[in-house]
Amino acid sequence: MSSTKHAQNADVFQQNKEKATWHDNALWFVREKRDRISKTLPEWEELRALGEKIKLHSVSHLASYLEQFAANAEANGVIVHWAKDAEEHNAIATEILQKHNAKKVVKSKSMLTEECDLNHYLEAKGIEIIESDLGERILQLNGTAPSHIVLPAIHMKREEVGELFSEKLNTEKGNSDPTYLTRAARVSLRNDFLTADAAMTGVNFGIAATGEIVICTNEGNADMGTSLAKLHIASMGLEKLIPDYESLSVLTRLLARSATGQPTTTYTSHFRKPVEGGEFHIILVDNGRSDILSNEEHIKSLNCIRCGACMNTCPVYRRSGGYSYTYFIPGPIGINLGMLKDPVKHSENLSACSLCYSCNNVCPVKIDLADQIYKWRQDLDSLGKANSSKKLISTGMQFLFTHPALFRTSLKFSSLAKYAPRSLTFGLKEWEDGRSLPPFAKESFTEMWKKGKVKKK
Amino acid sequence: MSSKDYILNNIRRNTRQVFDKPQMDLNAIRFDDQLAQFIEISKAVGGDAVVLKEGEDINQVIRSLYPDAKEIASTVEGITLTTLNPDEVNSPKELEAVDLAIIEGSFGVCENGCIWLPQQIKHKALYFVTQYLVIVLDRSKLVNNMHEGYKLISPSEKGFGVYISGPSKTADIEQALVVGAHGPKGLTVILK
Ligand code: SF4
Repeated sequence: MSSTKHAQNADVFQQNKEKATWHDNALWFVREKRDRISKTLPEWEELRALGEKIKLHSVSHLASYLEQFAANAEANGVIVHWAKDAEEHNAIATEILQKHNAKKVVKSKSMLTEECDLNHYLEAKGIEIIESDLGERILQLNGTAPSHIVLPAIHMKREEVGELFSEKLNTEKGNSDPTYLTRAARVSLRNDFLTADAAMTGVNFGIAATGEIVICTNEGNADMGTSLAKLHIASMGLEKLIPDYESLSVLTRLLARSATGQPTTTYTSHFRKPVEGGEFHIILVDNGRSDILSNEEHIKSLNCIRCGACMNTCPVYRRSGGYSYTYFIPGPIGINLGMLKDPVKHSENLSACSLCYSCNNVCPVKIDLADQIYKWRQDLDSLGKANSSKKLISTGMQFLFTHPALFRTSLKFSSLAKYAPRSLTFGLKEWEDGRSLPPFAKESFTEMWKKGKVKKK
Repeated sequence: MSSKDYILNNIRRNTRQVFDKPQMDLNAIRFDDQLAQFIEISKAVGGDAVVLKEGEDINQVIRSLYPDAKEIASTVEGITLTTLNPDEVNSPKELEAVDLAIIEGSFGVCENGCIWLPQQIKHKALYFVTQYLVIVLDRSKLVNNMHEGYKLISPSEKGFGVYISGPSKTADIEQALVVGAHGPKGLTVILK
């Protein structure tokens, strides 16, 4: 049986049935919360359409907005840096920290610094870096990576966190109450906030018209760090830039609702100037983003506001976990970003998709995630992966078929998806090409068939 | 070539199709009873909102809500409970022992409970390090949604502003909601 890395890793994830089921349900619950809250806004779909247009506009005017942003930020007293790639970003951050003789840095959640592998870089230079988002801190203490971009420790059970904390933070053995553990982390991290020499953050939105950055958190960790330390370094991917407050009002309304089903994050913080007597640096990071601009088929991946909704809804992600993907960002957006980063290295993630199109339908900025995955599959020939192409795709379907509960739910989505006619025809075509059907839940299939939802080509 | 030029050149060379800025004439949600909506959403986001009644003393109301608060920091006019003037400390770290901070918001947003706070005090840390937070808000200063809200914002002198909606929270352990992650463990909005 042929198998991709994703499929193999997914099988490992599925070995702990109870935990895998919990993971699936927990993420589905978040997706349902997102559905409920989006329905409280009559203008939700219009808002998504606007979100898409704002991002397409911003990305297609990136050079002029960047110049405007940098000029405004500099006028506000911010020191702006430009980094071509991860290495340059890390070198700039290190230089700033060393200049200030900073030995200890508190950091708030940032997928970009994850992308640059900043923590290891700084540690090698003798700088201690403390993750301050609770989920990220848990993973840092555990020595592992995030498995989701918004819910980084979603793959861990409370007992595992309890055990970890009793070892690292001296909490009582056997106590895995989330409130108790969160309080313990609060006490320990407060001490870190108060003793850190510098604070590093990511950026949710950069505003060209004002030169400010906006950071959204629920915990308040980015604010704690940056208001207690004198030095603030913010790492910002080029695509985070938007024109103005009018655009921001649309995107802030979409972000938290899509991410966790909340009406907003607790904190939407606007940073324009350094704190009194302090320094504020913004590092603008390209790291491949400006190359994506020329790729018209995949340019929309630059719309992403990193809400995680496509992961929560993805039937394959929910049942295989973030670690089953080879790229550090998992799920539908991660499959695409991984291909843009290094197609040869990450092509096996393409199997982690049943083309149910659910991701397209939840994405707040309407990225055509499933279409892009489909296109990548078509392109495998040119990547020298032609022979394995069919294998890849059929194993992707196989993963669903050998996990019947999983397949049923994926059908449940696609049954909603008059939007997604290709999802099933695509898979069926593969089998018609001479493969035997793997065992699957016949009932659902028959049901679907009767209802005319499976189209034969 | 500097990295800045390299990046900008690459962007210019790679930009193909250009998209216009969309018209943002969205018919966004509005509320008939803004006050009732604001109170309801403040509770939904884990905080609370109470209306100051005619003749009620704001200090007494706050004291009855937070009977155990010892160190109370505020610069809001008319607040007599204050034990610490937050503008008189040199380092924001000295605010770490504050039990209760009382601050003033500039407007509230009915769709999500956000209150806009342009930094008015010396150390913004007060908004976040305090164990509990009270925000005093003029009940006539409510807007329907974020679009209306962002139209009201102009840059604060100190260069920082924040929308706060409810107390600090996390659900990073098994998606169980815990109020009081790093910042305030409770938030009450007093609508005067
Ligand atoms: S691709 Fe869309 S749904 Fe997925 S994280 Fe990005 S914005 Fe959210």
